[in-house]
Amino acid sequence: MDPDFLRAWQTLAGLGTPFAAGANPAAPGGDTADGFAPFAESARRFAAAAQAFLAGGATAQPAAAAGAFGDFLRDQFAGLFKPPWPWPAAAEPPSGRASAEAPVLGLGREHVLRAERAARAWARLVEAHGRLHRLWFDALRDAAAAFTAGLPPPAQEPPDAQTIDRLYDTWIECAEEAYARIAHGPAFCDALADYVNASSEWREESGATAEAWARLFDLPTRREINTLTERLRALEEEVRMLRAAPAPKAAPRPRAKAREQPANADGKPRRAHERARGAGKKSKP
Amino acid sequence: MTAGGTSGAGPRAEEREGCSAREEIWSCGKLRLYRYRSIAKPARGAPLLIVYALVNRPYMMDLQEDRSLIRGLLTHGLDVYLIDWGYPDGADRFTTLADYIDRLLHGCVERISSLHGGAPLNLLGVCQGGVLSLCYAALHRERVRNLITMVTPVDFHTPADLLSKWVRKIDVDAWVGSGNVPGDALNQLFLALMPFRLMQQKYVELWRSRPGPEKLRDFMRMEQWIFDSPDQAGAAFREFVTWFYQENRLARGTLRIAGRAVELGALEMPILNLIGARDHLVPPAASAALERLAGSADVTTIELDLGHIGMYVSARAQREVPAAIAHWLSTR
Repeated sequence: MDPDFLRAWQTLAGLGTPFAAGANPAAPGGDTADGFAPFAESARRFAAAAQAFLAGGATAQPAAAAGAFGDFLRDQFAGLFKPPWPWPAAAEPPSGRASAEAPVLGLGREHVLRAERAARAWARLVEAHGRLHRLWFDALRDAAAAFTAGLPPPAQEPPDAQTIDRLYDTWIECAEEAYARIAHGPAFCDALADYVNASSEWREESGATAEAWARLFDLPTRREINTLTERLRALEEEVRMLRAAPAPKAAPRPRAKAREQPANADGKPRRAHERARGAGKKSKP
Repeated sequence: MTAGGTSGAGPRAEEREGCSAREEIWSCGKLRLYRYRSIAKPARGAPLLIVYALVNRPYMMDLQEDRSLIRGLLTHGLDVYLIDWGYPDGADRFTTLADYIDRLLHGCVERISSLHGGAPLNLLGVCQGGVLSLCYAALHRERVRNLITMVTPVDFHTPADLLSKWVRKIDVDAWVGSGNVPGDALNQLFLALMPFRLMQQKYVELWRSRPGPEKLRDFMRMEQWIFDSPDQAGAAFREFVTWFYQENRLARGTLRIAGRAVELGALEMPILNLIGARDHLVPPAASAALERLAGSADVTTIELDLGHIGMYVSARAQREVPAAIAHWLSTR
């Protein structure tokens, strides 16, 4: 393990548990422990919110305090379910055609239609992503509601780290349960399938455009390479079958009488000097 | 012979190949077949071939000395072999399940068999590798003496199977296209099964447990394995998702590989099925279906209170799983 990473980690761990008072991972984590920073920061924020709630013994409105805690959690985890690639922000601009009903004519017809299909797929992708996002927020809302419903009443004493530890685990439990309920449901499954299917279609149409450009510049395309790969596979299979097949029995030795001159490809008998050609010849280096 | 070295096949320099000494005894394309050197007492009985999943790297079976199923099996005197499927690339996009099962896995079995006088071997399939093993054993019954499956889905349509629900309406042909499926995309899907635990709590938990350097190393080793996900050969992936997850052909008895029917009812050899009671990837019911569907009169099911990953690397698994396998084999 990288010693710098270990040192940075030890510094981070030396601050105490994530929920201990005074733990501030943002400061001395060091470059190599940066990977932990988002989680440590998230824990720190959770601890701060939990302390604010639990230590608010004098608050006159515990329900409002719990609600604020719940809102915090929803904000805190809103961006958790993010893929490593950029999420679509908006539909691609339209292709420029005034009406989708108007016929596309002429030389560029196929290209225009392909661009339109890609744009429509992108729009569906954005729409499905929106549905997924709403369902994610629904899960967070349900999780926050379940969590705050089970919160202990605010106390006079400031909470210790173990109390916040337990609260954190309870929150994760509530969040997973709420998410699982939604993720198993048909609305989520449909939205996910629509999202994947739209992205597949967009990729297909965009890939076709890229291939059209590649052909224009005489660059090899994926399609060509696939054709070659398939041919290679077929050849490999043929070789395997030939190797696996039992060796053909040796042909019976022709008798002297039958030792006639073999024919050429055109059916004409080969001449003696043709047969002999090369047989005793030394090859040149 | 290599031990803990790198083969150069992986994408990262720090990639691990496992901690136990082993020898490559056969290869075919990117596949490597390894035989492990016995460490406790001379290996006895039929050889045991471990068939790992395509979706992760097999060094999880031999992660480190105190977390190694393979080491545990060697300690019990078993003669252990492991298939490393390698990292598929663009040239492997047309590799099918028939290639994996009937050509590559069969090639490994033939090779091992040739070293053991042609005798049938014991097969240990892990997760998706268990599915491949079930198919293989059904197609080549005479080659498999005993079959062990570990966290292996059999019925893909059980109510708790979230992955299966998610992919049911996905157009898999369009999704895969003509290419491979990136390992990162699959990881994204796996993380999304339990996002709060896997993307948040796990790391907070690490900090909270204040591990020393050794524990931190263990964590990082595991982290590396989790995200060291090979791309999936497109054709095989398309078949796997369509035939198993969407159409549940294995459980329904309608699966055909290389033109031949794969019938679980044809599995007449003794079977040991190891299930993780807290497995979020392969729900227990999905695995337990094997007992009902297999034709064997000798099916043993062991359910351990472990999750999917815990089944390979937890302290309890180290104590119980190799011992259970070795004991079960010794009585057959």
